[in-house]
Amino acid sequence: MTAVRQALWILLVALVPAFLASAFHPKRPAWSEDVLQPGEERLGTVQSWGDSVLWVDARSRKEFDTEHVPNAVLLNLEEWDQLFPAFLDRWQPNQKVVVYCSSLACHMSEEVADRLRRNSVEPVYVLKGGWEAWKSKR
Amino acid sequence: MRFLPFLFVLLATPLFGQLKWENPEQTFVPKPQDKQVIARYRFTNVGTVPVTISDVHTSCGCTTAALQKKQYGPGESGEIAAAFNIAGRTGHQEKAIYVTTSAALLNPTVLRLKVDIPESIKIEPQLVMWRLGEQPVAKTIRIAVPDEIPAKVVSVVIDNQAVQLDLREIRPGKELEVKVTPQGTTQAAATTLVIRTDYPPGNPETHYAYARVK
Repeated sequence: MTAVRQALWILLVALVPAFLASAFHPKRPAWSEDVLQPGEERLGTVQSWGDSVLWVDARSRKEFDTEHVPNAVLLNLEEWDQLFPAFLDRWQPNQKVVVYCSSLACHMSEEVADRLRRNSVEPVYVLKGGWEAWKSKR
Repeated sequence: MRFLPFLFVLLATPLFGQLKWENPEQTFVPKPQDKQVIARYRFTNVGTVPVTISDVHTSCGCTTAALQKKQYGPGESGEIAAAFNIAGRTGHQEKAIYVTTSAALLNPTVLRLKVDIPESIKIEPQLVMWRLGEQPVAKTIRIAVPDEIPAKVVSVVIDNQAVQLDLREIRPGKELEVKVTPQGTTQAAATTLVIRTDYPPGNPETHYAYARVK
């Protein structure tokens, strides 16, 4: 019983810094990840739009070549000049454009979306959760 | 109760073996002629047991992380160097370097490398578009070369005659206004504006803007 009590004490002591970190740490994760940023859209909503959506993959060519959302067009900042004409060939005015990147390793989807909007491509959305969100819901 | 020591060791490892990073997030603004940015992430083992770096990998192939050695004793410092090749990229670039250590096998440290590469030319907007049946009125593209870039625009040409160009130089070679007018909007058309510069010498840059009737 002593050992169990000791274990409980260890857990109890560990809970104190855990609680403090969750309450006050400047980089603590949000309790809820469900808040949409401006211009973001959830996968479920995008899927409800059907096949009319034009998916834009803002990751590297290597990642795109490995796997991508079916019918997605590759458009990243690194090869913008080479890839933008192909995007224009696919895109139709007023077509919903959804940009995704890797939520773990890349934050380029917002920048690609901004650049498209600056060129009057509207409406443009960023997929919340990025490639990982799409991959996990397949 | 025999498992308790193992539980203790498992829980204690992150407490006693820790790497403290000096600048886990670094931002660079390279000069126009720079070919590479090298970020150095210094760390110290502030724990009481040795820490082994078991894996370092990057978010994109353009960054390579070099590691001096794998195991660092208590109080020992080290460095991970990440090289980012600029290679024609412009604008904001953001890369991540994931470092897995024995102190946190399931929770890699994420080092961030942000590089803001100055644009050698600004083309706003890069796309002018008319809807089918829309009035074929002129739309303007502004081209500007920042003063700190020793480049000039030497020509703006189109790859077909679906649009007409009206060029006005506001500051010769540095600032231009291009009015683009489609010949008509009754059928779809696609034209590329080819914008040539004189920089860098020997292999001058070419940029593009686009006109579409859709």
